[in-house]
Amino acid sequence: MIRLFKVKETQKELAGNSDGGTPTKKQSAGELRLHKDIAELNLPDCCTISFPNGKDDLMEFEVTISPEDGFYVGGAFKFSFQVSPVYPHDAPKVKCIPKVYHPNIDYEGNVCLNILREDWKPVLNINTIIYGLYHLFTEPNYEDPLNHEAAEVLKNDPKAFKNNVKMAMSGNYVKGLGYTKFY
Amino acid sequence: MADAAPPSKSRDLDKLLLRPGNLVGPTFDPGVQLRDDLQEYARVLVVGAGGLGCELLKDLALSGFKNLEVIDMDRIEVTNLNRQFLFRLEDVGKPKAEVAAKRVMERISGVNIVPHFCRIEDKDIRFYNDFNIIALGLDSIEARSYINAVACSFLEYDSDDNPQEETMKPMVDGGTEGFKGHARVIVPGVTPCFECTIWLFPPQVKFPLCTLAETPRNAAHCIEYAHLIKWDEVHSGKAFDPDNPDHMKWVYDEAVKRAELFGIPGVTYSLTQGVVKNIIPAIASTNAIISAACTLETLKIASGCSKTLSNYLTYNGVEGLHTKVTEFVKDENCLVCGPGVLIELDTTVTLEKFIDLLGEHPKLLMTKASITYRGKNLYMQAPPVLEEMTRSNLEVPLYDLMDKIPKDVLHATGTIDKDGKRSSGLRKLRVVFKGIDGVTDMDMAGGA
Amino acid sequence: MAEPKTKYDRQLRIWGEQGQAALEKASICLLNCGPTGSETLKNLVLGGVGSITIVDGSKVEFGDLGNNFMVDDSSLGQSKAKCVCSFLQELNDAVKAKFIEEHPEALIDTNPSFFSQFTLVVATQLVEEAMVKLDRICRQENVMLIFARSYGLTGLVRISMKEHTVIESKPDHFLDDLRLNNPWPELRGFSQAIDLNVQDPVAHKHIPYVVILVKMVDEWKISHGGTLPSTREEKREFKELLKSRMAAMDEENYKEAIDASFKVFTPQGISSDLQQIINDNCAEIGTGSSDFWVMVAALKEFIANEGGGEVPLEGSIPDMTSSTEHYVNLQKIYQTKSEADYHVIEERVRNILKKIGRDPHSIPKATIKSFCKNARKLKVCRYRSIEEEYNNPSLTELQKYLTDEDYSVSVVFYILLRAVDRYAANFNHFPGQFDGGLDEDISRLKTTAVCLLNDMGCTGLTLTEDLINEMCRFGAAELHAVAAVIGGIASQEVIKLITKQFVPMCGTFIFNAIDHKSQLLTL
Repeated sequence: MIRLFKVKETQKELAGNSDGGTPTKKQSAGELRLHKDIAELNLPDCCTISFPNGKDDLMEFEVTISPEDGFYVGGAFKFSFQVSPVYPHDAPKVKCIPKVYHPNIDYEGNVCLNILREDWKPVLNINTIIYGLYHLFTEPNYEDPLNHEAAEVLKNDPKAFKNNVKMAMSGNYVKGLGYTKFY
Repeated sequence: MADAAPPSKSRDLDKLLLRPGNLVGPTFDPGVQLRDDLQEYARVLVVGAGGLGCELLKDLALSGFKNLEVIDMDRIEVTNLNRQFLFRLEDVGKPKAEVAAKRVMERISGVNIVPHFCRIEDKDIRFYNDFNIIALGLDSIEARSYINAVACSFLEYDSDDNPQEETMKPMVDGGTEGFKGHARVIVPGVTPCFECTIWLFPPQVKFPLCTLAETPRNAAHCIEYAHLIKWDEVHSGKAFDPDNPDHMKWVYDEAVKRAELFGIPGVTYSLTQGVVKNIIPAIASTNAIISAACTLETLKIASGCSKTLSNYLTYNGVEGLHTKVTEFVKDENCLVCGPGVLIELDTTVTLEKFIDLLGEHPKLLMTKASITYRGKNLYMQAPPVLEEMTRSNLEVPLYDLMDKIPKDVLHATGTIDKDGKRSSGLRKLRVVFKGIDGVTDMDMAGGA
Repeated sequence: MAEPKTKYDRQLRIWGEQGQAALEKASICLLNCGPTGSETLKNLVLGGVGSITIVDGSKVEFGDLGNNFMVDDSSLGQSKAKCVCSFLQELNDAVKAKFIEEHPEALIDTNPSFFSQFTLVVATQLVEEAMVKLDRICRQENVMLIFARSYGLTGLVRISMKEHTVIESKPDHFLDDLRLNNPWPELRGFSQAIDLNVQDPVAHKHIPYVVILVKMVDEWKISHGGTLPSTREEKREFKELLKSRMAAMDEENYKEAIDASFKVFTPQGISSDLQQIINDNCAEIGTGSSDFWVMVAALKEFIANEGGGEVPLEGSIPDMTSSTEHYVNLQKIYQTKSEADYHVIEERVRNILKKIGRDPHSIPKATIKSFCKNARKLKVCRYRSIEEEYNNPSLTELQKYLTDEDYSVSVVFYILLRAVDRYAANFNHFPGQFDGGLDEDISRLKTTAVCLLNDMGCTGLTLTEDLINEMCRFGAAELHAVAAVIGGIASQEVIKLITKQFVPMCGTFIFNAIDHKSQLLTL
């Protein structure tokens, strides 16, 4: 190899500083894989995606879910996605932006969805996550609660739960906490 | 050079570099010239000036290398001192790269080490092309993946998809955790690259949030609850800073409260730091062993003075001593180091026409392709919002979209037809425009 | 000075306060401070070993500047021991660093009792004759000894002492001690009180798998004449049975139960490794028995009596899907049983001590507790003396290594490392040490190696020319990077021996820097 280094060194001296076309931006393996995930997105009508930083930055984006049935009809729940350069080795970081009364989403927007943490695998993709989130709105579950109080109500009195969701989504207080108004 | 004084400073190394050998690399050409060339021409970059980096700098400087540079963004901390032997208590707070370079130069005359106190991403990628070999002393997957992508981006393939030796940027990579470690050699185009074998690094285990919120069982659960849930609840908007002792103390206190509430033993300040910062235990001996193994490989790659490690060494000193060499294989379709598919085009071909061509290309048969080039999304089939934003590019010649660069790499995602079976895939494409003057192989970056 | 705890944080996470205290009490003697010795000590000084004493009679030569970081241009002509010592002191002022300007061989010959003051001696770059003598001295004085040698692209590390016993062996993977197929009454009672058919889905998915398995084993036994699943088919059936009780597909606790069902199938009782330890002659206690063997004797009695064939319960349980309440209660049940077992062992230890005329309280509670917790993981390492190994190596092992492709290079290096010492004894220099006459050196080394093999009792074997040539090419060079590997390994073994944690290597480690296929040889 050393001879090679020598040759290169001489070449460099000859070439001077004439290499103007070298790129300065590096596309990470994570960005490429994300490009594939995004290009292959197959979302139901009730889910939309937007890219606040324009078409060339896919690493941060937002997904809005507008459930068509269940407790949460009438709402439009926006989630922020942050994707790491070593995606899909690491799962994207997902947060729910509006304040929502939901057993599996806490007041700070943390989401309890197994594939976002303990069950994340590199074979999963953005589409799977969005479907997982969508599922949380059609079938909220009281078994894996982040909002303990909401889970208890859902478990013991679904009618009251339905009412609480309605209250929250109309911008009213539920148990002393204010929620985002949708209608 | 150093032929003036009869006693050689490289007394021991000379035996290896000046004498012919039987178990050596194919390029080995022993002699004084080899030793002197190693000093004069070989340029090695050490990435990271921590536990491995300090050792690497010392080892390389005492293994015949005279032109070294080191890059690290960190400052010295007290907890580094049990293994990062180039640092003293009075250095705490100073940049690691600068102190490390200075200390080694003070002790070994004739060695030049240039420190770079910055992030690896802050350097233009041309910076990395100036080195013949890159030695990695890192503790994160992100940083390894980044350097790997940079090093592989210099690799070029000929028209028969053979990697061109003069464009290879070899890397040696080390890693340790307690009594365990690994050392590996990466020669892009020849051995697997970091990305080919990223599965060797399993994703970090994360506790389910609902476990933290509802059914904590051990001390770590209580700590993560305070760190991930309670912090946000109380400090709306203020980001948690693991290096702020007040923040850490707050998390610790909250974790203690929670542990008491549930009758869970074992929350300590030390454990809190360990869990929150994901601290990996580290000792001097393992770092020394792994760095020295990496240095030996660097010397062998540069000089050919012995066979090289092929290509991954694992070390485990927990029970007795176990070492194992594994020869991993390349992923031929690797987006980072693989050859990709060569496509020759006229400068007039529009993006739309190009996408059509991919469907006919015998090695691809890719339909409905989305195209990305150096971080720019030229065309996206989905979602509709991006399709709309990129649609106008379809009529533009690809040559223009690629800033009139005659030869470069882009990536395509689409449906691939293979033996009648359709599947989705992401492919690397090497595009060369025909009839452009002045296309030479000279320092043309590939861009992976 | 910053509090030492912070400085040592990253290693305290490995060997804890106790390990660190042991290091800080230890006094280490280094023979020869070339790069191999210097690098060994560097790692130990950084870690905070109590004191170091460097023995080296040589002056710093020009060539030393190219392979040893602990000397610099200003050291030329000065005592190497002094220069290395002063640099090492710079690394950690908590360490007491001393040097003695004398040749180790001379010290070995003239003042053998010198070595008795140390916890451990690291002997680097010694030739065979000196190794044998030093080994004899250290064994007599009960001082731990490690040999380390770098030689071109090879080298060796070898521990020598009569016996090293380990309580905290801290293996990477070890089966949890859960007693699923042999629950004691409290565990069974706790499990019985929990209803596997509870209607509430939240409760159902938070029953710990330990409870599920204990109950399902009982259920299985009822329908299978009191036996556990044993055949492959039965094991599969047992897993199917578990699966059939899931209330939903995503019940983590049941998935964990299925994954852990092999723990039910593992045989009861103690491992063959432990069996060997309790059957060891040393477990027959006399006045000279060490604390370790006294505790082993107590353990042996426990296994035969209260333990019913089992060791004292370890007492800790892994994390598992569970409600906090069930988990914390389960933890308590395991801890209580573990505590009870410990008391029995303690009582037995005290009685044995009394019997052999020692103070019954001479072994601290904490030590006995740790012994009980680690009873399944005890390790005993014994090392042949160098003299014995060199005069009478295990021929079957040697033959095996010579014909095994994975070992063939390492074993030849082992033989050649001995051959070069013989060569040096005959010719007053190492083969290839000086330029010129290499061909002659090669043929002499070959002859020497063949003679050595004959003396070892291995006849009719040929050594590959390639390695003999390489060995001459090396010319006894002490390359810095090789020395850093050898020194790194030596220091790691020192730490394991002194902290009495983890398992030190048994046999001779032969480093192969050519392709890194290094091996541990037991001869």
